[in-house]
Order: sequence, then structure tokens, then C-alpha cells
Amino acid sequence: MACAEFEERLLEFADLANGERARVDAHVAHCLSCREFLEALRTVDSQLTVQLAGREATPAFAPAVRRRVLHEGSAVRPSLVPEFLDFVGWGAIVALLGLVAWWLTPLVHLSNIRMTVSLNAPYVAAGAFLLAAFLFGIRSFADLKH
Amino acid sequence: MEQEIRACLDRKRYQEAFDQLLPEFQNKVFRLAYAMVGDAALAEDMAQEVFIRIWKALPGFRGQSALSTWIYAITRNTCLTALKKGTAKRENSLEEPNVARAVEEAGVPAARHAEIDVLRFLDQLPERHRQVLRLYYMEERSYEEVARLLEWPMGTVKTYLHRARKELAEAVARSKMEKGTV
Repeated sequence: MACAEFEERLLEFADLANGERARVDAHVAHCLSCREFLEALRTVDSQLTVQLAGREATPAFAPAVRRRVLHEGSAVRPSLVPEFLDFVGWGAIVALLGLVAWWLTPLVHLSNIRMTVSLNAPYVAAGAFLLAAFLFGIRSFADLKH
Repeated sequence: MEQEIRACLDRKRYQEAFDQLLPEFQNKVFRLAYAMVGDAALAEDMAQEVFIRIWKALPGFRGQSALSTWIYAITRNTCLTALKKGTAKRENSLEEPNVARAVEEAGVPAARHAEIDVLRFLDQLPERHRQVLRLYYMEERSYEEVARLLEWPMGTVKTYLHRARKELAEAVARSKMEKGTV
């Protein structure tokens, strides 16, 4: 376990400026735990660099992709269904807002506001929920199509 | 190169665009897939799947984002879907013949490599730490490239990477102490 003060600097040892590196070097020279940590970090860096750096696909990769593309045939032209569904979805949002506005407007002029709200609220809530669910379904489908 | 590919797409020359796109992005896509699934053979399968998806979706590419961003997003989604379905079984890549060959080709003495097995410790890290770590070393330690490929904020990449390297280094230090090599 490296000293808390130096741990961060040891993790960025390679990128340290000269002055900072000299300070870390001086600390590491007399701190065994930081020295061990730095040594272990170098082992990690060197091994993972050797094993992972610049990995590439095998030479057989590109020909295999081309064969599959040939098999798939020509690229598919985009469908207009997502745009249509998008339009329907936004239309439904506007319709829902219009419905709510239409339902709320008369209440302003009525004396028994609370009674009206209590009688109709469950139906309106259920209707709004179903409409919203329908809407989200359509939007999700449109996104999937994209 | 990206502009040339876009020009082909604008003229609806999809085959030509794909022919330019494949060599340009095949290794990046492979490395991103490898970082996510942790197995070279599986990563190639994933990368193939990615390019088939790209081929099918090319006519629908609207150019709202950079082509590379679009391709990396397809790669991430393909790998994530495979991981969720369990078709991408993550394995310790140490046993891959390619890795052993790469180590030999790099001239690392076999005894030293066998001494501390860093990749073995990699499997003990959380998924995201593993991904960022693999990509970091594959992309020649570039934070920017890792952030771009995974589409994570730079701060997140650095945080994950620091934690991952710290955990690995501590595991290696412990292992060395147990073996008495320090």
C-alpha cells in the first residue's frame, strides 16, 4: 500500500514534470511500501502493454466480412416507418395536451370544481396513462427501427 | 478519410463507402469489442457482426454525428446486447494462443511472464474497470482515445483507470510478497 500522499503521483509517474518526479523519487528512495507499489505498477504496465498494445484483427477478418456482405446483398434503403411513427407519437402528445386543456378549462368557470375533479380524475388519469404508455411504445419502436 | 466516405454516401455509393470504411475502422472496432468482451476470437465475431450492421444501416446514416461516433456506438451496442444475452462469454484471455505468441514475439522471457500473471488479476476487477484498462493499453495509453471509443467523460475514464491500475498493482505487490520475489 503506497503512502496516500504519493499514490496519485505514482499512478501518473511517467507523466510527471521533472521537479515533481525528483520529489517522488526522493520519497520512493526511502519508502519501501511506495517502492513496492511503483515496482508492481511497472510490472502491470509492462505486461499489459506487451500483451495488449496495438492488437489487431487477424488477416482473415476483412475477407470474412466481405464474404458476409456479399451474402447479405445490397445495402437496405431506410424505411420511412420510423418517421411516420415519430409523427404519430408527437401527434398523440399534442392530442393528449389538448385533451387535458379541454377537460380543465370549464372547471375554472364551475362552482363545484372539487366535485368534478373527484368524479372524473380516475378516468382521466387512466386515460392519460394508457395514452402515455401507447406513446412510449410507439417512440421505442421508432427508436429501434432507427 | 471520413470526408471521402461521407462523399460516397452522399452519392449513394454504399459499396464504395464500405470498401473505404472497413480497412479504416476494422482494428478500432476489433479493439473496442475486445475491450468489452475480453476474448479475441469472440471480439472478431462481434466485429464482423458490427460491420454487417453498418453495411445494412449505411443508407440510413444521416451524418448527424461523426461517422466514427456512429460506428463505435454500433460496436458498443452490439457487444452490450451480446453480453446481456450471454452469447459473449468472457474468458481469461491469457490462455489464448495469440497472446502467448505476442508475448513470445515481443521477446519477453517466458520465466518472467510466468512469474506474475497480471491478466489473471484482471478478471478480479469490475467489468468497467476491465474494459477501460484493456482499451487503455491497446490504444497505447491514450486517455482521449479510450474516452472517445467508450463515449465516457474523460474524468470517468481517468477515475476508473486509476482505480483499476491501483488494484492491479496492489494485487501484484501482494503476489510478489507471497512468492518472496521482493
